Amino acid sequence: MAQLLFNLFAVFTLVTAAGVVLNKNVVNAAMCLLLTLVGVAGLFVALNAYLLAFILLLVYAGAVVALFLFIIMLLDTKGDQRPGLKHLSLIARAIALALVAGGVVSFFVRSRLPEPSLGATPALGAELKLYAYQLFTTYLLPVQVIGFLLLIAMLGVIVLSKKFDGLEDIK
Amino acid sequence: MNPNYLQLFRALRPETSLILGALAALGLDLVVVKRHTLEERLRLSLWIGAIAIAAAMAHVWLGQRGSVFGGVLMLDKLAVATRLGALALALLTLGMVRGARALRHPAEYVAIILFATIGFTLMAAAQQLLVVFLALELASLSLYILAGIDKTRPESSEAALKYFLFGGMSAAFLLFGFSLIYGLTGSIELGEISRQLAVQHVSPLLVVALVMILVAFGFKAAAAPFQLWAPDVYEGAPPASAALIASASKLAGLVLFTRLLWNGLGATSGNVVTADGTPGWLPMLAIISGASMLLGNLGALAQNNVRRLLAYSAISHAGNLLLGVIAVGQGRNVWPVFFYAATYGLATVGAFGVVGAIDRANPGGCRSLSDLAGLYRRSPLLAGCLAVFVLSLAGIPPLAGFFGKFAVFAAAFRLGGVSGPAGWLALLAIAMSAVALYYYLLILKQALVAKPAEPVQPIAVPGVTVIALIAAAALLVVLGVWPSLLLDFL
Repeated sequence: MAQLLFNLFAVFTLVTAAGVVLNKNVVNAAMCLLLTLVGVAGLFVALNAYLLAFILLLVYAGAVVALFLFIIMLLDTKGDQRPGLKHLSLIARAIALALVAGGVVSFFVRSRLPEPSLGATPALGAELKLYAYQLFTTYLLPVQVIGFLLLIAMLGVIVLSKKFDGLEDIK
Repeated sequence: MNPNYLQLFRALRPETSLILGALAALGLDLVVVKRHTLEERLRLSLWIGAIAIAAAMAHVWLGQRGSVFGGVLMLDKLAVATRLGALALALLTLGMVRGARALRHPAEYVAIILFATIGFTLMAAAQQLLVVFLALELASLSLYILAGIDKTRPESSEAALKYFLFGGMSAAFLLFGFSLIYGLTGSIELGEISRQLAVQHVSPLLVVALVMILVAFGFKAAAAPFQLWAPDVYEGAPPASAALIASASKLAGLVLFTRLLWNGLGATSGNVVTADGTPGWLPMLAIISGASMLLGNLGALAQNNVRRLLAYSAISHAGNLLLGVIAVGQGRNVWPVFFYAATYGLATVGAFGVVGAIDRANPGGCRSLSDLAGLYRRSPLLAGCLAVFVLSLAGIPPLAGFFGKFAVFAAAFRLGGVSGPAGWLALLAIAMSAVALYYYLLILKQALVAKPAEPVQPIAVPGVTVIALIAAAALLVVLGVWPSLLLDFL
């Protein structure tokens, strides 16, 4: 049953992820992204990481994709017309595809993945209290650094997007 | 785990002073914004920034050593030296800001330089993949903004966008690689990862992870074939931003990846002493290094734009730096590559400082090599300093660049002579240094010999920038004559 669910969600995630990249219409691509995130959340649920699945749905599927759609609507983009393939780029694509295919094939032929030992490592995202405890003890420094990361992002957005009229005071 | 918050705070006092400096610069600028000119606001912000960096340096120098907060940070000699080096380079960059064309948002500019410096100091000490990634992104995000902060020039926005897209892509690669490493070892601590990998054989999954990490490393270091962003960013970004991107970020990033590769993934390094085909990251690194040397040096020969030329020179130096990372070897001899990165950073900050000063004085900016013509008459100081910086980049004795190159090449030869890839790479590097001499001398020919096409005005350089330029040049000379000054400390 667990294997079946995993396969189901994995295939669903991959197909919708391909949809994000291949869709020419931006709104459709964003909706595909939403479905991809739902698929990943399903995978998390299968791993008993309910909290992560919930956060993923709430933050990414809920807020981030909604923001994407907002921006798409504001910019009123229709999706770009892709230029016809040039000779050189066609060759480059063929080589890149062959390399990736070779890598994937050799991976499947030669790889022996270590057996997962899920029982040994408790999923830290499973329980809210444990998660919060870890955030304020073991991962305190990363949390603080993320705070400054967001501050810089905000500062950058304000500085780079603020409009000004005259340039007369720049000597 | 019993967290010791006080210990963490003590270890992070340098970062705290930088943050306080950044916030003070932003806050005070809001107070004085109405009544003062752009020049005065810039001066105020620069002073606050300089004081914050000086305080951070004092904290690093006097602060505690050893492992912090359960091994999240490691404040060993290398970390302390890198923190001091990155802070010194950031301080010099602040000096160069004053001499370059004034920007619209002085306080924000200084604050973001300070934030980037926090990223560098964290990168120097990080021992945990999460902190590694966040410190790298803290610095990168600041650098993207610094590249695009000159909104009066479209090139600056172009540079920022290209840098951001490439950088974001490389961050995704790095995170993917890290998550695979975590999946394989079940840990994000470098020490535990190294213990786990030592008992595993090289699996295809691990190879994928290594490729991902090296791709990201290549992007950050501007090594071929991931160098595409570098010429456009160095050309379009304001000169002081380019100086920070090319100096302090290179030094901190190099130390970070040296630690990550040797201390974390050392068990899967492979072999470059002899060409026996052992898989690992060393052979990949050797290919990237050789490609960067070739592409950087040969690409630089064709450049007519000073900043693009410096960018291609940066790519070639990235190749040498990667050779230095290879030469660290099982003996963990990091000092040659640290010395190289630090002196390369000094010379680059100085060179971009001179470019910035010329850029401000020329109505058309400093673009082509001929804009340097007659520099010796316009400002003997700038011409003299530029000569020191460029000759150090070229590796001419007695300047520090020579000793850095010598130490790195010697360390590479010491691995196994000329019988293996490491030795061949060092031979290639020596040959390419001769090629590099040509384009470096082209710069000096324009600055010191060529007659300007039209009569030119002398260049006035602000006092702070004069001090920063002379300090950088003096350090290059002193470290070149007396390298043990730095090496003994380490």
